[in-house]
Amino acid sequence: MNFLRKIFEETGKLVEKGKPLSWAYPVWEAADTIFFSTNKQTSKGPHIRDNMDIKRTMFFVVIALIPCYIFGAYNIGYLNALAMEIERGIVGNTIFGFTYVIPILIATFVAGAICELTFAIIRKHEVNEGFLVSCALIPLTMPPDVPLWQVFIGTSFGIIIGKEIFGGVGTNIFNPALTSRAFMYFAFPTKISGDKVWAVGPDGYSGATALAIPANPVEYDTASNLFAANTQFDYSTVNMFWGLIPGSIGETNKLLILLGALFLIYCGIASWRIMVSSVLGLVFTSLLFNLLNYLTVDGILQAGGFPNAMLTITPLQHILVGSFFFGTVFMATEPVTSSHTNTGRWIYGFLIGVLTVIIRSINPAYPEGVFLAILIMNMFAPLIDYYVVQANIKMRLARNV
Amino acid sequence: MQKIAIKKGHNINISGLASREFSNTSTQKLVSISPQDFNYIKPKLLVKEGDQVSLGDALFFDKINPEVKWPSIASGTISKIVYGERRAVLDIIIEVDAEKEKNIELDKQINLSSKDNVKEFIQKHNFWPFFTQRPFNKVVNPSDSPKCIVVSLADSSPLANDLSFSLAENKEFIISALSNLKKLTDGHLYVAVRGDNFSFLSDYDFINLIQVEGPHPSGNVGVILNRVNPLNQNEVVWTVQGSHLPVLGKLFSKGVIDFSLNICIGGPAVKPSYIKSRIGARFDLYKDSLLMENVRIISGNVLTGKQVDIDGFLGFYHSSFSVIEESFERPFVGWLHPGGKSKYSVFNAYLGSNKKSFDFTTLQNGSNRAFVPIDAWEKVFPMDIYINALARSIEANDIDEMEQLGIYECDEEDVALCSFVCPSKSDVGAIIRKGLDTIYFDK
Repeated sequence: MNFLRKIFEETGKLVEKGKPLSWAYPVWEAADTIFFSTNKQTSKGPHIRDNMDIKRTMFFVVIALIPCYIFGAYNIGYLNALAMEIERGIVGNTIFGFTYVIPILIATFVAGAICELTFAIIRKHEVNEGFLVSCALIPLTMPPDVPLWQVFIGTSFGIIIGKEIFGGVGTNIFNPALTSRAFMYFAFPTKISGDKVWAVGPDGYSGATALAIPANPVEYDTASNLFAANTQFDYSTVNMFWGLIPGSIGETNKLLILLGALFLIYCGIASWRIMVSSVLGLVFTSLLFNLLNYLTVDGILQAGGFPNAMLTITPLQHILVGSFFFGTVFMATEPVTSSHTNTGRWIYGFLIGVLTVIIRSINPAYPEGVFLAILIMNMFAPLIDYYVVQANIKMRLARNV
Repeated sequence: MQKIAIKKGHNINISGLASREFSNTSTQKLVSISPQDFNYIKPKLLVKEGDQVSLGDALFFDKINPEVKWPSIASGTISKIVYGERRAVLDIIIEVDAEKEKNIELDKQINLSSKDNVKEFIQKHNFWPFFTQRPFNKVVNPSDSPKCIVVSLADSSPLANDLSFSLAENKEFIISALSNLKKLTDGHLYVAVRGDNFSFLSDYDFINLIQVEGPHPSGNVGVILNRVNPLNQNEVVWTVQGSHLPVLGKLFSKGVIDFSLNICIGGPAVKPSYIKSRIGARFDLYKDSLLMENVRIISGNVLTGKQVDIDGFLGFYHSSFSVIEESFERPFVGWLHPGGKSKYSVFNAYLGSNKKSFDFTTLQNGSNRAFVPIDAWEKVFPMDIYINALARSIEANDIDEMEQLGIYECDEEDVALCSFVCPSKSDVGAIIRKGLDTIYFDK
């Protein structure tokens, strides 16, 4: 350890102020404090500080994501074995999956680190550990067979346009991970638009995702019946909860996401208000659509465009299909881009749920609407906060008579 | 009796709490008063080194508000005046002459029948510096009429001087002080107590007794005001330190000037104790109680106090010294640490932390980072103010918005816990002070 310490002390002298390499100080500081906790001291009050810092905060989010990675890798192997009609076993499946996950992970982190470090040097801001979370999130939203150059470009776009041009972590408007997801969605639609399954199979292997089934039914039926009629994958409620279905790498197993959510809520890092309210919003809107479907199909209301099988998806199915659960736990709760007030968080989360169902059900072009819903609400979060704060100001003015 | 329960906040479980008994020490030879303890004043000295002064003599006055003069806190000789940068006066050190203090004459002409009489009496003995105001936390302007007066006898800060113990022998003086404070305002006199402490105060109708419950900062004047009588724009509220009540009471009831003060010393790096001492006491006298070499001595509490040298003095408004270890440790990958007894966090981020009283050091426990709003500040800030929005408006220098968001109700001490918990290691108190400064100098 002393040897390592010495290396850092020696290199530290090279990046001091006034030295030719001083531009590299943010990079040195980031590396130095990763290996050894900072010995920075308090200067004035408060003279004592809590042991929580941004490094640990961000690291905890990454910890919450690790189970999703492991299951995601297993699921890739499992679905592949299913398509190839071979037996590989749990370990074999997981190893097979990791041969797809790890290259994506490396591409993401290389792209992310290059962007973050370059901007830290140019803009002279400290390297914020937040980029580690963005980079850990991006692979989980990708299909397993996504080309690595697309990942590289998508990540760079997300970090630069989603975050750095706004001034880095703390001042960004859009969730960087979702920005890169959205960029890839529109830039490379053949790969990740979300209607064809993302499983690694033999050439030409394809199928419909759970969301695409009620979106494009051959003949109108309720979503439950359509799910049951699909023979290629088991889209039963139980199986969708356990996650042995095609999808983005990290989104399928709802139990592990739930555990991650509970962990983050317990640690006080993610806002439970956003998670709860977005589920409420989703349940509310899907019930409303169920009612609408009941009225149109059973004859009281007749209008063009109906019947729409998407309207028959039950609230529970809405939660389980697609990446709503993953998005609401890990993406919507991103502290900087969500609402900053508790009242605002309720509204913000609720509207994410509402928008998710609307985009999914009403617009047939986008089977998956979660990331769009969250990005739209990212944009409106400051507005929500503005009105919440204005209410506080009005209360104060009314008091001052 | 009014009860207020504060839910948001945190009692920092720091080790080194003094037990409720006095330890014996010799008397102070040197005391000091520092103009730096008072916000927004421009001191003009009235004495020079070597001058003889008596208790209560004016030492300096404020050029902005010349009525307000600062009393000598001892009888004796001005032994040294310490200057800092740009000749700012840091300390006026007085060598105490115990004989002279004993023989000081009493003021027998005490007429405190009306508000003006009380004001004149305070003015005569240069006691205005004991009265501070909100907003801005500065010495009052005697011509103001405060909308109410608040005294907190329920200090909730870490290792705070327990006034129910250290003021126990001063019942009559407390009542005398409070009854005259009441004359200074047309509004209420709020006195905050915790539990059944100071229960004798409930016999007096002129006191609005408030029972506070809950974690720090529940005992702060700002927090109490926010609950019982929020401070609006263009209003002024006066307050005095609870620990100063006997000093005021002795003057009001007997005409005696007596600056003795029971202080407490606490913290992980010192043998904690209560000591009969005086305002402006020197720490040097208690250095035998230090447990280690490398320490930081803080006048006041660990959240808002001021760092002093080993031969430094107690700040004017402080009634305790806190001592913590100066640590330069750099644990290997400390941010990955699983937890245990070496970590303390209000987040559930470490296994098995927080259970026992904790030996805090001066480590910041993390590097400064951009602000990430994970609701840390809001967890420990009990006022109905959007502190995050307020901080942003201060950084944006938007005075109108600061006022609308309630900056006048805040003071550094009210947000100290926010800085304590902030994972980005921001100094929220400095931000609030910056905002108050901006407004103060704008007007």
